[in-house]
Amino acid sequence: MKKKFYPDYLVEILFFAIITFELILILAFVFPPQIGKEIDFLGSYKPRPEWYYLWLFFLLRFFPADTVFIGGILIPLVVLSFLIFIPWIDKKIGWRLTALIAFAILVLLIVATLIEGLL
Amino acid sequence: MSIIDWFLDRFRLKTLHRGIFDRDIPEGINYFYCFGGIAFTALLVCIISGLFLSVHYIPSEKEAYQSIIKIHEEVYLGKLIRGLHKWSANVLIVSIVIHSIRVFITKSYRPPRELNWIVGVLIFVVVMLESFTGYLLLWDQKAYWATVVGTNIAGSIPIIGETVLLLIRGDYEVTGKTLIRFYSLHILWFPLIMMILLWAHFHMIKRLGISKPL
Repeated sequence: MKKKFYPDYLVEILFFAIITFELILILAFVFPPQIGKEIDFLGSYKPRPEWYYLWLFFLLRFFPADTVFIGGILIPLVVLSFLIFIPWIDKKIGWRLTALIAFAILVLLIVATLIEGLL
Repeated sequence: MSIIDWFLDRFRLKTLHRGIFDRDIPEGINYFYCFGGIAFTALLVCIISGLFLSVHYIPSEKEAYQSIIKIHEEVYLGKLIRGLHKWSANVLIVSIVIHSIRVFITKSYRPPRELNWIVGVLIFVVVMLESFTGYLLLWDQKAYWATVVGTNIAGSIPIIGETVLLLIRGDYEVTGKTLIRFYSLHILWFPLIMMILLWAHFHMIKRLGISKPL
C-alpha cells in the first residue's frame, strides 16, 4: 500500500516530535544546567569547550601561536568546502571514493573528540 | 463553515495545505528519514525556550551573570527553561549530524537536490555559530575564556586578522561590547538567516519531493 503524507506520515512525524520533546525534557530534568564561576579577568584560565567543539580544540594543539589560523580556520574551511561540493565531487570521482573521504573525516572528528574529551 | 476553515480561507491556505497533505511518500523509507524532523523539533524547542529566556536575560557586563542566577532562583520554571534551551541545542546538533549522514548514504544530495544539500550544510554552520555565540552569554569563567580563545583564532589570520578580531569583539579585549554583539547575533541575525535557509530547505523538499530510497 502506498503511503500518503496524511495520515500515515504525519502520525509518524508527530510521534517522533513528541518523543524528541520528551527526551529533551528528561535530559533537562536529569542534567540541569549549572551556574559557572564568576569571571576572573586576571588569571589565565584554560577553558574547555562543549563537546561539539572538542575536535577543533584538539586540532589547535598541533598549531602553536602564529599558525593557529591554519587549524582554527583553514582546515575547517577545507572540510566545509568538501561538504558543500560533495554533489560535484561525487560526479567526478564516484560515490565510493567520496564516501571513503567523508568516512575518514567523520572518524577523525570522532577520534579527535574522544581523545580531547578523555584528556 | 467552521472557524478553522474560515481562517484557512482568509489566508488562502486551503489549496496549499491540500498540496502538502496529499503528497505521496516514496515506498521503502526507514526511520533514519526521521532525523530531519527530529532536528526541526529540537530547533522549535530551542526557539520557544529562547524566547522565554530573552525576557529575563540582561546582556550587560554587570548584570548578565546575575540575571542567569535570577533565572535559576526566582523565575518560575526558569531553570527548566534554561535546561530545555541547552539540551535542545545538543539534540539539534546530534540529529543534524545523523540527518546529513543519512542523506549522504542514500545519495539524496544528487541532482536535482544539490542546492538543498548546500543549504543544509549552511544551516549546520549557522547552528554551530549559534552555539558559539550562545556560549558567551552565560558570562562566567568558562564562557569568557572560551570566547577569548575562540576569537583569538580569528585574530591570527594574516593581514586581516586584527580587523576581523575587532569586528567580532568590538574591542581589543572581550568586553561588554562583545557580549551585546554576540547577544544580537545569537537572537536576531543568526535566527533570521536560519529562517531564510530553512524556508529554502523546506520549499525544495516540498517541490522536489522526498528522494526515492535506493
